[in-house]
Parts: sequence; structure tokens; C-alpha cells
Amino acid sequence: MTGSRRLPLLLLPAGLFVLAIYAWPTLLLLRNAFNEVGPTGAMVEAWSLKTATDTFADGFTLELTLNSLQLSLSATAIALALSYPLSLFLFRTDSRFRGLLAVIAILPMLISGVVRVFGWLAILGDRGLVNTMLQSLGLISAPIKLVFNWTGVTIGLAESIMPYMVLALLAGFGQLDRTLEEASRSLGASPVRTFWRVTLPLSLPAIVLAAGLGFVLSMSAYITPKLLGGGRVFVLATEIFEQATTNTNWPVAAVLAIYTLGLLLFLLVLSNLLARSLRR
Amino acid sequence: MSYLELAGLQKRYGGSVAVDDVSLSVAKGESVALLGPSGCGKTTTLRMLAGLIAPDRGTIRVDGAEITRLPAHKRNMGYVFQSYALFPHLSVARNVAFGLEERGIAKTEIARQVEEGLALVRLDGLGGRRPRELSGGQQQRVALARALVIHPSVLLLDESLSNLDAKLRDTMRHEIRSIQRSLGITTLFVTHDQVEALTMCDRIAVMNRGRIAQIGTAEDIYERPTTRFVAEFVGRANALPATRNSDGKVLLWGAAQPVAAPAQGEFDLFVRPQRMRIVPASEPAGGETVRVTGRVLRSVFVGDHVEVLVEGAGGQLAVEMPSGTPAPAEGAEVAVIWQARDSLPFAREAA
Amino acid sequence: MNGAGPVLSGLAALVYALILAPIVVVVMLAFSADSFILFPPSGYSLRWFQALAAHAPLLSALGLSMQTACVVTLLSLAIGVPAALALAKGEFPGKDALTGFFLAPLLLPTLITGLALLLFFTPLRLTATLPGLVLGHMTVTVPFVIRMMTTALSNLPHDIEAAAATLGATPWRVVRRVTLPLATPGLIACACLSFLLSFDETVISLFISGPRAATLPVEMVRYVEGRTDPLIAALSVVLIVATLIVVVAVERLVGVARAVGK
Repeated sequence: MTGSRRLPLLLLPAGLFVLAIYAWPTLLLLRNAFNEVGPTGAMVEAWSLKTATDTFADGFTLELTLNSLQLSLSATAIALALSYPLSLFLFRTDSRFRGLLAVIAILPMLISGVVRVFGWLAILGDRGLVNTMLQSLGLISAPIKLVFNWTGVTIGLAESIMPYMVLALLAGFGQLDRTLEEASRSLGASPVRTFWRVTLPLSLPAIVLAAGLGFVLSMSAYITPKLLGGGRVFVLATEIFEQATTNTNWPVAAVLAIYTLGLLLFLLVLSNLLARSLRR
Repeated sequence: MSYLELAGLQKRYGGSVAVDDVSLSVAKGESVALLGPSGCGKTTTLRMLAGLIAPDRGTIRVDGAEITRLPAHKRNMGYVFQSYALFPHLSVARNVAFGLEERGIAKTEIARQVEEGLALVRLDGLGGRRPRELSGGQQQRVALARALVIHPSVLLLDESLSNLDAKLRDTMRHEIRSIQRSLGITTLFVTHDQVEALTMCDRIAVMNRGRIAQIGTAEDIYERPTTRFVAEFVGRANALPATRNSDGKVLLWGAAQPVAAPAQGEFDLFVRPQRMRIVPASEPAGGETVRVTGRVLRSVFVGDHVEVLVEGAGGQLAVEMPSGTPAPAEGAEVAVIWQARDSLPFAREAA
Repeated sequence: MNGAGPVLSGLAALVYALILAPIVVVVMLAFSADSFILFPPSGYSLRWFQALAAHAPLLSALGLSMQTACVVTLLSLAIGVPAALALAKGEFPGKDALTGFFLAPLLLPTLITGLALLLFFTPLRLTATLPGLVLGHMTVTVPFVIRMMTTALSNLPHDIEAAAATLGATPWRVVRRVTLPLATPGLIACACLSFLLSFDETVISLFISGPRAATLPVEMVRYVEGRTDPLIAALSVVLIVATLIVVVAVERLVGVARAVGK
């Protein structure tokens, strides 16, 4: 429309905000990765790779990486196994409560993470739902450890990434044409065969994208590993936070943060490439 | 003296040309249709007139003043959108009042004019409703009233009847035409429907590929198409392959015919099916009559006429006979005749 | 072949049970009469709601969170909506690149943003202050507002705005009389969700709130780290109810799945 040439000026406040409060701090983070930590623990301004080489020479970094990858992999696998049928159900249902059902599916996303973690503590704790139930059934004599270890973190994390994966799957199902499934049925394929030969292959790109998203979210999650891990679960995210706050070791925190970011970008690109090649 | 003047209008989108050198003069009070297939540039032309799209080249003048670069809100053109584009959050009366309010007219005067406007389109008493509570035809009239109350210098109608059902469309055609005439308002009407163009407008500009292919009265366009495209697009026509010999004779379906041809070689002869007549094969041709012979493939009863398909040496042709006349039997050998002046030669299209 | 079928519906019901389990458990626990987390509770009472009403640190944290979320919402709309307007309605070179620039912060995990803000705010003495928290939360809400409102504004029927222009409304009058009124449901939904995003923001807050100024989620994390009793459950019920009210409001206005989705 003519007469709206001044419209881009409206971008100015938001642009300045993003530059000052987002872009500049991110550059500062990069800069800090090149600083050094003196023997007293104080930060020394420098342009060196010493902090980075020290951090990567430390075997603990590798351990943290493997922990993070393993945790994310299991959480994503569980979340995918649960969110795929849920999404397919939401995609197909002609219930008049479809809108409500969709909202419930993504509800955890809107409720504070701390609240949900607390719920899992009550379910999985020593005197929580699961243990009291198993004990009253006489299946176990002493409570089994389900929280403050990897089990609890994996379960909590899987639940927290599910809503995002449901949304990603639903978006990806757009190209899933019901008539194709009907065609398969009319050609004599059973519902199960139809699922294997038509539905699943067609939704594969959506699955890859959702899994990529879930994995990346798991890698960068902090609250769940922190609270459900009870200080016994160490991943990259918890270490970055510890280094930055408790230890005030900014250079190491910055190096780990950039390293994590690199891993995330790599994984995102990978899953996008995979999804694209599947879509062909 | 022309009132609205478009000169050399052009608009490109990326590599493709939407409107290519459109020039058009419209007299005050005249109603002109822009007729063409979808994608021919007719709506783009209308939007450039309204100031909704900026032309790349060319000028637009209204009453002598150039408005090519004037923003839409300063043009005072009444635009009726294909979707009607009524404001869903405003009542019918506020919709009609919108343009008057933007002109800072006094409240009482606005109320009076809104009432007049609604009466003009026979919607009196519906001012308090919301647009979505009205039928399609009523919404269309609100859109018309809203465009008319601002006393536009030109009324622009963009496919305004295409969302209505056939019967309502017919009523609205006559209503709009009579309002347009009684107000004497200069109107440009975009449509892909030739009946609409033929019945609602003084003149028709047939557009094709961003250009005006022909402009003239309904009769000009129908009877004397100047391009092959117009002959094909407006009404129905048989395109009969013909050849002109080196000695000047025109051969059609293997027989020499008394028609003029522009140049030597192969061309197509366009003939309207309702100008053709079927006669017994034995009947000889008159002086100025074109005559071909063939066999009747089939006759189809289409209500107001019977369509007869005839196959001969040069292919097939369709003849429209008034219903009530006895149709020839299938397989009968017949002659098809028509007046030589009813056949129009056009160059063969490059495939 | 209509609907979801019994197998799929059964599976979905199971998953729903899993999704709702922590929430249901929290609600039941809130009314526990026990002094520690025991499920199912041995008795029910309102004692933890009374304890909550007397818990000064959590209450002051709640106040700070409300205050922060209000300011964050207002400021995010104030700078986000104009930007969305320009991105949705403007035609200028580099628009796609600019859109990418504004949405980039949504891609970075808050863990990274929080650390970057800690490094930026500490020398400026902005950590553990209201302005610091507000700016920190805005790194999440401003891109969110821009994304949601750009979509909402682009989806408005173009012809309606064009109609206003042909009737004599200047571009700014079109925005005021047509665009914004039509976008109002989306705008309200966007404000609600921005408020929720800020109110629930935990990781960035953990990085930049010190002991002096802790938002509610931060205070809750500290509480859960230290003790395990049903007090947090009682607080959670209050939060869940408040959240549900907002969610229902948003669902009525635009649909949650559309609002939070990409």
C-alpha cells in the first residue's frame, strides 16, 4: 500500500531491544569464552583458548556430554512413543471435544515446570503413589528409588517435552491425507498393514522433526535434571549453571554453553536434513 | 471529452507482466466492463485505479487531474470488492457511514446520507444489523451503498456478482445497472462473465495477457471481433481451417468459397453456430453463401436450441438450430450454409 | 473409516492419564494433612493453604512475579505489536531477514540466554532487580509477541483494509479503525500468554535473581531443593487454577494450539 513508507520505523524499538538485550549479551558470552581463570579463581581478561583447551582436556566434560546425550535420547524415545499415538488420535478424532483434548495435550507446556516436577516427586518418591501402590500389593518390600536418579529425570523430562513434540507432529501430519489410508484399505490392506505401509512412512518426516525438537529441548533442560536429579544427576545444563552461579567461573560456563549450543545446532541441522530427504 | 483516462499502464510482478500497456478513455457517466479470463490483468488494472497497487509505468487521470501517485485514501473512488470486504466489527449503518466519517462530515448529515444510501439499495431498516447477519445479496448491497454514499468520482466493481447464485445475480445486474444510470456515475466493471459485461455496460474492453484486445460496444465485440482471441472468448464460434490458393481462391472443406481472405496460405474461418443453417444436401448454394457438406454426427437438445454436430471433409462443426425446427436425423447427408459476411478470417495460432 | 478407532483412542487415553497424573497428584496433595509428601495422603485438611498464606518469602516472591509479568506484558506488547504490524503489513527489502532476526531469540535455549544476561547484567548491577528481571523475561516475550501478532495480522482479510483505504481512511486510520479492532481477540490472547510466559519463566530468573529479588518460580525451586512438604502443592493448586482461567480465556479467543504453535 502506498503511503506506508514509514512503516518500517515501527521496527525500531523492537530492533534496538533485540540488539541491546539479546545480541550484545550473546556476543559477551562468546567473548567470555576466551578469558582465563587465574589461580585464585578470579577471571583474567585475555584472548586465549586456554579455558577451552583445559575444559575439553578434562574427562568430566566428555562424561557430561555422554550423560546429556544418553538422557536426551531416552527421554526423546519415551516422549515420542507416547506423543505419536496421542497426536495421531488428535489428528483423526472427530469428537466434538477435539479442541479441549488438544488443549489438555499441550497443557503441561503452560503449567510451571516446578509444579510438574513437584507432581513427579509425589508420584515417584519413596512414599509416593507408585511405591505405596507396589508395597500395598506386596510386590516390593522396600521402596524402589525412582527419583533423585536418572530414572526420575528421564520420566520428568519426557513429560516436559511431550507437548512440543505433539505440536510438531500435528503440524507435520498436515500432509497425511485420509483418503490415502482409505485407498489402502480398499485395496485390501488391514488396518495394521495400512499403518505400516501408508501412515507411518508418510509421517516419518514429522517424526524426525519432532524427535529433533524433543532432543534439543532435553539437551538444554535445566529445571528437571536439577530438581528430579536431586544433585546426583550431572549433565551439561546443570554444569553450566553451577559454573556460572555457584563457582562464578564465567569463562568455563561460557565455553560449555557455546559447546552445548554447537551440539544443538548440529543436531537440529541433522534432523532437518533427514526430514527433508525423507520428504522426497 | 474523456473523464477517466488511463495511458500506458503497466505492472510487473517479478518476471511476469500482469498489466502491459493498458490505455483506456471513459466518458463521464459511462459504464465500461473489463472482460477477460482470470489472470488477464483486469483486477490489477482496477486496483491500480483505486490506488491499491502502484503502477510501474503509465498515468491515470480523472477529470483532467493526474492521480497516478495519489494514495488510495485521497482518490475518492468507490470500490466494491469481490469479497464485499465489509467491516465485520461494525454495524451495517456504520459500514456505510465509514467513508463519510473519514471525511469529517457532521453526524446528523451522515445519518441522513446513510439512510438514503440504504434506501437506494433497498436495505432500509437493516442498519443496526451486523454484516454476518445478512444474506450474500444483502451484503453485496451494503458494499454498494458504502461505495456510493461517498459520491465517488468513479465506481469500481470487482467481480462483484460472482459470489451470488445465478438468480440473484440476474436481479442485481439490473439493479446495479439502473442505479448506475440514474446516478449517472462513471463505472468500471471487472468481470469474466460475458453476459454480465454485455448487459451491464455501455462499452466492453476485452483483456488478454495484460493488454486490451478490443474495445467497443457489445455489438462491436460480438459481431466484429478484431482479434482471434476476442472471437474465441466472446460467444461461441466454429474455427474452420481454410486455405487460400495462389490464384486467390479460398478453399474450405474441399470446396471453393466466396469469402475474402487477408493473405495467402492457411488460416481459420470463424463462424457463429447460430448463423449457420442446415439444408438438404441437394439444395444449391446462392451467390454470397458459403456452403459445405457433411454428415450429421448427432443432435443434442439444449433447451432453447438444438445443437447439431456435422462432420465433413475438413473436420467437425457445430450448428445451433432454433428448437422447434425439425432436427436432421443422425447420419443424414446435409449441407451447412451461411452468409459470407458472417465468416471472419483469423490467422492460424502458432501452436 | 471415520474417527480415531478404539485402539488409538485407548492408547491416547493412557497417555492422557500420564499427562494429567502429576497435576492430579499435586492437587490431591495440596489438601494433605501430613507433614511430608505421602501419597495418597493419610488425611485431608487445608493446613497447607493456611501455611502458604503465612509464608512471607513465597508471598513476596508472588508479588514480585506479578509485578514483573505485568510490566513485561505491557512493554512487550508496546514494542512487539508495532514491529509485528510492520512485518505483517509492510513491503520493504530485507523483510524476511528482519523477521528471522526478530524470531532468533526463540531458537536459543533460555539456559544460554540466561547465562548471557548474567554476564551482561552483573557489571551493570542489574541482577536481582526488577528492571533486570523485566528485560530478561522480555528476551522471551518480545519475539513471542512479534511471532504471534505477525501471524494474526497477516491472516486478516486484506480486502477489508483496502476497503477502508478506498473509503478515505489514511494508513494510520486504517490501523486504528480496522486492523487493530479486528486483531483485538488475538491481542488479548497474546497479552495473556505473555503474562504466563513471564510468570512461569524459571531458568533466566534463576540466573539473574539473587537472594534479594526472587520471582515465584525461583523461590519454589529453592523451597523444593531444601524441603519436601505439601506447601508447594498448595501453591501449585493456586497457580494451576489461575493458569487454567487464562488458558480457557485464550482458547475462547483464538485457540491455544494455534497461539503457542509455530
